[in-house]
Amino acid sequence: MRSIVALPECSPGPVRDQEVEPARVAGRRVRASLRLDFECEKGSNKTLLASSQQEPPLRVVRAFSAENGSALVHLHNLSGGVLGGDALALGVKVGAGAQVQITTTGATRLYRPRDHAAAATQLNEVQVGENALLEYVPDPVIPYAGARFRQHTAIKMAAGASLFWWEIIAPGREARNEMFEYQSLEFKTNLWAVDRSILVERVLLEPGIRPVTSCARLESYRTWASFYICRAGLSAADWLVAEQTVRSLLQQLSKPMGALWSVSTLPAHGLVVRCTAVRGRDVLSGLHRVWHTAKMHLHGRPAVAPRKVN
Amino acid sequence: MPPEDLIVNAESDLALLRLLHLADTALPIGSLAHSFGVESLVAQGLLTPKNLHEFLCGFLQEAGLVEAVFCRHGFALASPKWSAELWLELNEELSARKVARESRAGSASLGRNFLSAVNMLGEFPTLQAALISSKQAVGLIHHAPAFGLAGGTLGFDENTAVLAFLHQSASSLISSFQRLLPLGQSAATRLLWELKPTLLDTAKRSLNRSLDDAYSFMPLLDGGAMEHPALTTRLFVS
Repeated sequence: MRSIVALPECSPGPVRDQEVEPARVAGRRVRASLRLDFECEKGSNKTLLASSQQEPPLRVVRAFSAENGSALVHLHNLSGGVLGGDALALGVKVGAGAQVQITTTGATRLYRPRDHAAAATQLNEVQVGENALLEYVPDPVIPYAGARFRQHTAIKMAAGASLFWWEIIAPGREARNEMFEYQSLEFKTNLWAVDRSILVERVLLEPGIRPVTSCARLESYRTWASFYICRAGLSAADWLVAEQTVRSLLQQLSKPMGALWSVSTLPAHGLVVRCTAVRGRDVLSGLHRVWHTAKMHLHGRPAVAPRKVN
Repeated sequence: MPPEDLIVNAESDLALLRLLHLADTALPIGSLAHSFGVESLVAQGLLTPKNLHEFLCGFLQEAGLVEAVFCRHGFALASPKWSAELWLELNEELSARKVARESRAGSASLGRNFLSAVNMLGEFPTLQAALISSKQAVGLIHHAPAFGLAGGTLGFDENTAVLAFLHQSASSLISSFQRLLPLGQSAATRLLWELKPTLLDTAKRSLNRSLDDAYSFMPLLDGGAMEHPALTTRLFVS
């Protein structure tokens, strides 16, 4: 009965030290995985990228150390985006006590596939160890006209683990007024904390079949985002206080016909924040403010935005 | 008509009457106390009498589909396939699906009240076992799987039970609109009448669908339900 997140065709293999293999190409379908294994170095309390497996076009150049000992990595896709039929996988393991921040170097572009190409797939498998911290703060996903994309994400948190994880889905290339012209986007997300299922999301967008601009879906809003904020082990009462703290900020951010923000406690161990916005630029700035507020509330220290060009 | 046919008809007619009874929004389980986020959308000006049909069709295609799938999976757990473990997992998954705290609690309130109410109407060991196992596990009982389990236990036809569940869900929402918007009795009746094809389509789409493929995308309703606790004046619990 329990949902299993699985895209077997692109499941990452075992972690191998610093091994780089060419992507396997079957016809035009690229299959590639990126596995990152972080550990907290005993004594120094510094987080290291202990091992990685990288298959082109997925790439991480190096892990940067921050002053507090955490590690920052930038995810690169050397193709410049996700091509039709690509089967990509990201595996992240954050060891006990480690602190990791992951971001992208730019928006994830989902390109129009060839007519007969399979849907592009992205599998994310993430483990956050005891008292570890993972902050996944990527740029938006931009689906081009005709794009077909399936993403499955499974995140497992051990006792005391913390998670800040957001995703932003743009309507398309807004600058050229290409909106909701993709064919299909599927997002399956599962979060577990201490072996308990705390969030299951199943989203399938097919604008040509079920209009996304219906008043039952996005109406006049265009960009939507989800932000999961978790710390395994906090009590339900603690989360109600956290919900109220975040809501106080969201009430400042929310503007009718601008951006609508909302927050709720999950069944346990966390919060979910949602945003629907007319303009995409309002979302990222708002998420940073929510991140900062939640991090201060839960960890007593500010969120530090990843260093990057954009 | 041969006597044996009369007996068969009597049984199915009795099942129909029981289903009508349990799917009536007047069943005292508290369904009229919840708007599941609709109250916030009305307060934000996103819903008016003019777009209610469009909203309800979308609601059935998205959230309705998920509820219908969970209703069917609850139905499948009726004896002899009863499993306390699967029952608890089914409800835990639905809890994890409902991102809004008040909607999650509302669905759980209706589910427990519904199952308790049906259990008091006769001897139903499966329903009794469901209530006990959830209580022992400190787990929630959601309305959709509870309705399905009761339907399977009482021998209803599965498709008819799912349709009845969806119908009462839509009817409850329309009742909310009547209290929130200038929507008269005749308009409300027409609204529910015109939803029948979408109800049928939703029930059909839920047939043989796995939980993993039960999709829903209603970000505005989810957001409204999540922010419902912040409304200054509230007619509804959720």
